[in-house]
Amino acid sequence: MTKIFSNINWKVQALGDHAIQFYLPQKMDATIISEIKCFNDFIFSQQLKEIKDIIPSYHTLTLIYDIELMDAPIDFANDLIEKFTSERKNIITSTAVNEIIEVPVCYDENFGIDLISMSTKLNLSITEIIKIHTENVYQVYCLGFMPGFAYMGDVNTKIQTARHAQPRKNVCAGSVGIAGAQTGIYPMHSPGGWQIIGRTPLKIFDKDPAILSKFNMGDAVKFYPITRAEFDSLNENEL
Amino acid sequence: MSIQIIKQGIMDTLQDKGRYGFQHIGIPPCGYMDYLSAQLANVIVGNPKEAPIFELHFPASSFIFNEAHTICISGANFVPVLNDKSIALNTPIQVSKNDTLHFMQPLLGKTSYLAIKGNIDSIAWLNSKSDFSSHIKTNDQFNLFERDVENKINSTKTKEQENKQCNINEIQKHIFNSNEIRFIPGPQWNDLKNESISNILKQPFNTSLNSNRMGYTLKGPSLQLIEQKSYLSSAVTRGTMQLLPNGEVIVLMANHQTIGGYANIGQIILVDLPKLVQHKSDTPFRFSITNAETAQSEYKQMQKCFS
Repeated sequence: MTKIFSNINWKVQALGDHAIQFYLPQKMDATIISEIKCFNDFIFSQQLKEIKDIIPSYHTLTLIYDIELMDAPIDFANDLIEKFTSERKNIITSTAVNEIIEVPVCYDENFGIDLISMSTKLNLSITEIIKIHTENVYQVYCLGFMPGFAYMGDVNTKIQTARHAQPRKNVCAGSVGIAGAQTGIYPMHSPGGWQIIGRTPLKIFDKDPAILSKFNMGDAVKFYPITRAEFDSLNENEL
Repeated sequence: MSIQIIKQGIMDTLQDKGRYGFQHIGIPPCGYMDYLSAQLANVIVGNPKEAPIFELHFPASSFIFNEAHTICISGANFVPVLNDKSIALNTPIQVSKNDTLHFMQPLLGKTSYLAIKGNIDSIAWLNSKSDFSSHIKTNDQFNLFERDVENKINSTKTKEQENKQCNINEIQKHIFNSNEIRFIPGPQWNDLKNESISNILKQPFNTSLNSNRMGYTLKGPSLQLIEQKSYLSSAVTRGTMQLLPNGEVIVLMANHQTIGGYANIGQIILVDLPKLVQHKSDTPFRFSITNAETAQSEYKQMQKCFS
């Protein structure tokens, strides 16, 4: 049921009657995410008619399949693991060649509506919070919650803040938030519980089929601060 | 040929089989909720089973036909009335120019389907005409185009019509006459307390009023995990039974989020999902465990009704 390649131990389980899930040890980890991405890209390249969706996440890769086209899903899954592990050494891990996506953020207190309360709670100045948030290169662990919403990490422990117990009814498109070790951007107006520290002028999700999501799983992302005037001149989102 | 909405309902949408291939960037699949009733209505008017169709909830939209059409209503019985006369479900109905269609009361079920022979003209996004963030509104007008020759030939076979008649009863019975909903235990099933496991299998559940196209929240015994754990989010799908921290179960439906971090305790099998979709809050149902082989073979069997 499992195969080993450089200590990567893939396991598979059926998820009901129309999905199968491959999984690795349950943790937020750069090695695991690059392995998930690698397997994801491999399966995608196979263009399998049985598969309707390939959904990667932190430590899992889930295939949604068409019941009418699939016989013996677990055998199918084990064959994929076998094929992948035998070809794995020839696949260049794509994160190694990924460019860093730079994202401008205006950390104005009118946008970063939780900055003041976080500053008090964390005993850090707002300037320090911004400095720490813009220092790290974050990795996109997965997308979900809404179209184009990328879960990125890891946030420096110094500014990690739990999400609000009661989510806000409306968070503006482009809002940049923190939830524990994760940071992310709301692609569109939506309810949301993350601690909001700023706003990007970039459009994160575009309905144009040629564009869609700004981020993909496995991408490397770095934020940099901009002024309110720069935000206004760059803004692509509805206010 | 066209049809117009004269009064919008509360959340009626145009749906087809859904939008697959984009869940990795967080786009919900959408698509019809009770796919069996939707396919049935389509096949009865002679459309391909996966054609776009109007999905209606009560209070439902009212329609006016600007030309003669063949229509069929399947799924929930909201007492459809054409002009002043009530019309049958699961039957092809000829409508004339300026006829109006209203739905009077939610007699049976929760989700009704209106199929119109032809191809509903609506803009597809990412290979699907399923509405995601919008719904049909008063004064919306939809043009209808004729389908190609191949489909016309298929729809005129009388022998097939006979077969369909017996299938209709079978499908109706499956969806509306059963209070048993089957599931396959999920990855976190063994994290449940023994008492909770026995409660799921022995106690009745009801759908709550907090149920929509994203998910159905259930009322039933409060369920608990052996220990409060947090799980890294992973993919969920339609029918996934998520255990919320307050002990309630939410069953994910067509517009579900693509990944979730709640305990995944089980998966309602696809062939039984229409039963839950149509289950009103006042009728209790029970859960029972099944396996993937049974679920898949019944699904395939049921799909044969539409081929």
